Amino acid sequence: MATAMARPRSRPAGRRARSPQSRALLYALVAVVVLWLIGPFVWLFVTSVSYQRNLLSRPLPFVPPEVTLENYRMILGLVRFHAEGQAAKILPSMLNTFIVASVVTVVNLAVGTTAGYAYARFRFPLKTFSLFAVLFTRMLPTVVLIPAFFVIFRALGLQNTLTGLVLAYCSFTLPFTVWIMKAYFETVPADLDKSALVDGCNRFQAYYKVVLPVSGPGLVAGGAFTFMLCWNEFVVAQVLNTKPGTTTLPPVIAAMNGQVNVDYSVIAASGFLGALPAVLLVLIFQKYMVQGLTAGSVKG
Amino acid sequence: MARELRSPVPAAPSRVATTRRGGRAIRLPEGPFAWLLVAPALAVIVAVVAAPLAYSLWLSFTDVNLLRTTGPAVELFGMRLPLYRWVGLKNYLQIFDDPLYWASLWRTLYFVGAFVIEATLVGLGVALVLNERFAGRPLMRSLLLVPWSLSRVVVGLLWIGILDFEFGAFNGYMQRLGLLSGSIAFFKDGFSALNVLVSVYMWNQAPFATLLFLAGMQSISEDLYAAAEVDGAGYWQRFRYVTLPALRPILFLVLVLCTVNGFLMLDLIYVLTMGGPANETTTISWLGFQTSFAFFKFGPGTAILYTLTGLCLLLTFLYHRLILARFEPEA
Repeated sequence: MATAMARPRSRPAGRRARSPQSRALLYALVAVVVLWLIGPFVWLFVTSVSYQRNLLSRPLPFVPPEVTLENYRMILGLVRFHAEGQAAKILPSMLNTFIVASVVTVVNLAVGTTAGYAYARFRFPLKTFSLFAVLFTRMLPTVVLIPAFFVIFRALGLQNTLTGLVLAYCSFTLPFTVWIMKAYFETVPADLDKSALVDGCNRFQAYYKVVLPVSGPGLVAGGAFTFMLCWNEFVVAQVLNTKPGTTTLPPVIAAMNGQVNVDYSVIAASGFLGALPAVLLVLIFQKYMVQGLTAGSVKG
Repeated sequence: MARELRSPVPAAPSRVATTRRGGRAIRLPEGPFAWLLVAPALAVIVAVVAAPLAYSLWLSFTDVNLLRTTGPAVELFGMRLPLYRWVGLKNYLQIFDDPLYWASLWRTLYFVGAFVIEATLVGLGVALVLNERFAGRPLMRSLLLVPWSLSRVVVGLLWIGILDFEFGAFNGYMQRLGLLSGSIAFFKDGFSALNVLVSVYMWNQAPFATLLFLAGMQSISEDLYAAAEVDGAGYWQRFRYVTLPALRPILFLVLVLCTVNGFLMLDLIYVLTMGGPANETTTISWLGFQTSFAFFKFGPGTAILYTLTGLCLLLTFLYHRLILARFEPEA
């Protein structure tokens, strides 16, 4: 798979001109796939700009009869309503999520990239063993670590802190980052480092002055993936940061969802708002992410 | 630097180059230098994975009581980490004695089996469609990432909006189209709720399988298809005798990744069913999570979660043996 990243996209199967029937079938299938992929997300948006009474009306209209931003005003604290206490948590928790995800991404890139480079390039004692250990942690259920984090963080005073979340999040992101970066560096020709060494760089300079500057796509893939994982994480934050104001966005959305007196349209607005950053991030960097993830996974 | 790279000096073995240029260059041999690079990552992994993992294992053999502040403990860097009292296999015997554990285990196996089959078939099917040529294909590949990039909390509440008994779009539009007279209560019956969980998780995860399948399909040589076509092979024959054999390693990878992910699924249960109705969507991971954090019984809780870890470890072992060893002998 290492070569597939550099290789231009091969042409898909079916070169001959299609018969009208086969073309119709293909476009019908494509339509089904599109509906399946984004229909539910589009519906989330539709409900978030609807009034609950219109969602409940039967027969259900195909086109929403009223469009409103009222739900968004509610969750952003611009209008008072009965669950405004819960809604007021959304923006602060979004900031928390952003801080945690950014710090974890920086740590991952700083630490995981150098490790990925070493695994891709050098032979060294215990290489296979430590690489297998990384692979093993990648397959580990994070939930088994949470009781330990709970007790340890309580002893360290890291419960209900963003530092604690950063540490806990590194446990499931770093193995991925190392793996993605290893796969990426395997696609960067080793001659690049060798000629840098010939030109008088030492090994470290060859890495950060020559290889790293051409590794943008790999860094973007690893960074965006890490950020996305942290932005979306729910269970760890739910359990470790229970004090108001210390948690991240997914637990706040889940708590809103659990309240019986909040309209679904309001919950949908918070869900759509919370999902948007990760979706946009992934769409913007999708080219690099697809390359990095498929190379990293297919490779092993 | 790029300019210097085109220097006429042929790429010599690195060892020679560094010694010749001496001077400021740090002449580190490959091994120690590589260790310098991997050490920070391994240190972090030891601190945030290996240490908590070991501590969790320890907790599963003790009578954890979060309210007790006295008793044995280790003092490390000024923190007092409680060790609690060793009770041997008591927690494990207790969970193995619980019918709920076994019911959850069989349910987990059903969940994983159904999820793996659904995600693989749908992932492969979508990949076959997207691998064809049609207008707007690049856009489709972006859309592919949408379900996968959503938080499972959002995935859950999104499907509530579609499947809900009262305001769900599915019931609404099926009635509107005259295909349904009443409303379907997807979450009322335990088995139905479990299958909804499978399908919703599949919606979230299958796009990743599609990505892997597409990557595999694009690395299949065009000549193979041309040759097959010359031999008169139709679409299904080309799929059966060209595409499928070439995808075998990726198919295998998808099966293993889906299996592991299936065992770990937890957040969707929280949002959609909370293990109910009547524990009928309780899987092993949910049972371990609830025992630990709803009832704060960390002893049995970590024991349950460790049996889950054992299953994952077994799968990782198979993954390593079967994939890395068979398909990539050089790795």
